[in-house]
Amino acid sequence: MIIKLLWIVLLSLSLLLVGAERAWAFCGFYVSKADASLYNQASQVILAHHEDQTILTMASDYQGQPQDFALVVPVPTVITRDQVQVTEPALMERLDAFSAPRLVEYFDRDPCEPLPIMAPLTMRAAVINGPINRALGVTVVDRFTVGEYDIVILSAQESQGLATWLRRSGYQIPKGVAPLLQPYIRQGMKFFVARVNLGNYQRSGYQFLRPLQIRYQSPKFMLPIRLGMVNATGPQDLLVYILSPQGRAEVTNYRTVQVPSGEEIPLFVKQEFSSFYKAMFRTAYERENRNVAFLEYAWDTNNCDPCAAAPLTPEELRQAGAFWLDEPPSDQDSRFAAPGSTFITRLHVRYTRDKFPEDLMFQETANQEFFQGRYILRYPYTGDATCAAARRYRQQLPQEYEHQAETLAELTGWDIQGIRSRLGRP
Amino acid sequence: MFQDARHSQIIALVTFLILGVAQRDWTLDPPGVLLLGLACLLTQAALSRQPPQSPAGKSALITALGLTVLLRSESWFGLPVAGCLGIGSKFWLRVRGKHLFNPANFGIIAATLLGLPVWVSPGQWGEEIWTALVFLGLGGMVLRQVGRWETSGVFMGAYGLLEMGRNLWLGWSWDVLAHRLMSGSLLVFALFMISDPRSIPDARWARAGWAAAVAVLTFVLRNNFALSTAPFWALFLLAPLTPLLDYLWPQERFTWTDPSPENPNP
Repeated sequence: MIIKLLWIVLLSLSLLLVGAERAWAFCGFYVSKADASLYNQASQVILAHHEDQTILTMASDYQGQPQDFALVVPVPTVITRDQVQVTEPALMERLDAFSAPRLVEYFDRDPCEPLPIMAPLTMRAAVINGPINRALGVTVVDRFTVGEYDIVILSAQESQGLATWLRRSGYQIPKGVAPLLQPYIRQGMKFFVARVNLGNYQRSGYQFLRPLQIRYQSPKFMLPIRLGMVNATGPQDLLVYILSPQGRAEVTNYRTVQVPSGEEIPLFVKQEFSSFYKAMFRTAYERENRNVAFLEYAWDTNNCDPCAAAPLTPEELRQAGAFWLDEPPSDQDSRFAAPGSTFITRLHVRYTRDKFPEDLMFQETANQEFFQGRYILRYPYTGDATCAAARRYRQQLPQEYEHQAETLAELTGWDIQGIRSRLGRP
Repeated sequence: MFQDARHSQIIALVTFLILGVAQRDWTLDPPGVLLLGLACLLTQAALSRQPPQSPAGKSALITALGLTVLLRSESWFGLPVAGCLGIGSKFWLRVRGKHLFNPANFGIIAATLLGLPVWVSPGQWGEEIWTALVFLGLGGMVLRQVGRWETSGVFMGAYGLLEMGRNLWLGWSWDVLAHRLMSGSLLVFALFMISDPRSIPDARWARAGWAAAVAVLTFVLRNNFALSTAPFWALFLLAPLTPLLDYLWPQERFTWTDPSPENPNP
């Protein structure tokens, strides 16, 4: 009887889960002070994390007028002036370049000559103290200016009050955002609100807004993506570079899946690596049911093989937040990782509201296994060779071309006939 | 064959392992897994002074399979050491002849505390509903046989209610709750670890109350301390209450098969 009851409960629970309402996802959301329509489609974030210490660096592909830019991010603790700084935009580009999926080229050797000649060459994928307003329950915990940004740290008691405060202060926040603020308020999180200080921006002489960097101490190792889904029209891409002295990082509440890698593909892809990668990513994303985080790179920052860009220098890593480089290694770190080493994990998350209901939670692991998104172009030997091995080699080539074509079709979803005709094959 | 519930546990865990490797691209290190199996069986044999093929060897195999499903390591020694510690705990940490900890749980926590290069990947299962149903189905098969189903039921029920309450209070939509509960490692924990009849309280009500306490602690550790391995810590921390509960509410102790002179050990 009791077993029956248990099964009824379990069954109803699973039905409830199946039928759960499909309520209608960067960090935080961008708000506009003018009526410009802003969509954050792709963002890049660096998370330098170890134990309870996190340094979060945020950059976006914001294209609008600087005076219209504003950013609201829930943060686990109160952030003070000395915990915020701006970094060079080049830093994000360096991390991207170092960790991007890459094409490698190999040249077949003369089949009559036993010595291998390998020439790896890489290309980058183009991817991607204030007054208390008691009536609204909003407390301005701190207000300061860092570089070209005016920052306000808010603590709130209820979401409608916070939404009203933001609107009254001239931020045009997206419709429907108020209910989403509530869970963060109730978890005791604070709000980091940044807008551009035009005077400082013009004096700085920068063409683009520089990434903002926040340092905080909290066991929460997460990125709030829910708010960012409010003003999104379609899937959004997020690239997270996680730096840790320990090893790889992974997402704990969604699957972390390696992007397809190590496949040989036809030579013409060299001219269109960017569209190849996009198609391949989309295919993998669909195949994994659109609810996973993709691992694109995991490596020690001291080296790379092959290198898509020069390894990151200790100075660059410090700028990116690797605070442990300034600290003597603890016993536990030195036991398994080289002292002072930094491991980088590049995660690519394409998220939508229906497939990513929860914010992204991460953990650093002891996993030091290297991984890279790497695609191989193999150039056939075209010199004169008349030995028996050369004949066999030439006989095998068509099969290999066919195999590469099939691989490409499978990875990208491109039409196999189209690929064959580009290869000059029937 | 299903006289001994350990057989169905072994089948269920092997099924999960195959599903994980085939459907979920788990990267297992076969030599490491083999070493883990050997380490568990040999530790069991050495400490019980019985050959590995004795009935107690099945329990050691379940511990090895549980660790293979839940624990990840990149080094060859991480899993085997966790296995040895887990099996060792059955012999070294006993109160009135009953082991204090579930061996796989002890292995996971001890290896973590010792700073071994191991980790639990709670996200590795994904949340597809079919996976959950497979889990429930196979788990049910095991639980009905063992007769300790209420431990899993109370744990999942209490944890589900707490998460539901939190979800309502925070104002998240229901799919957040569904996503939080559809965690593969949470289910494996509920079905195979917390229901281990050899290390949980013998009396039914004591067991139910204890399982609810594990659920509350899991909830607190996950939400207030952001611990992704919360259920394992909760079980580890509350396992020492079992002897006390057994003392207060004594009940006949569970054995896998009919007690017989040749099977006196775990």
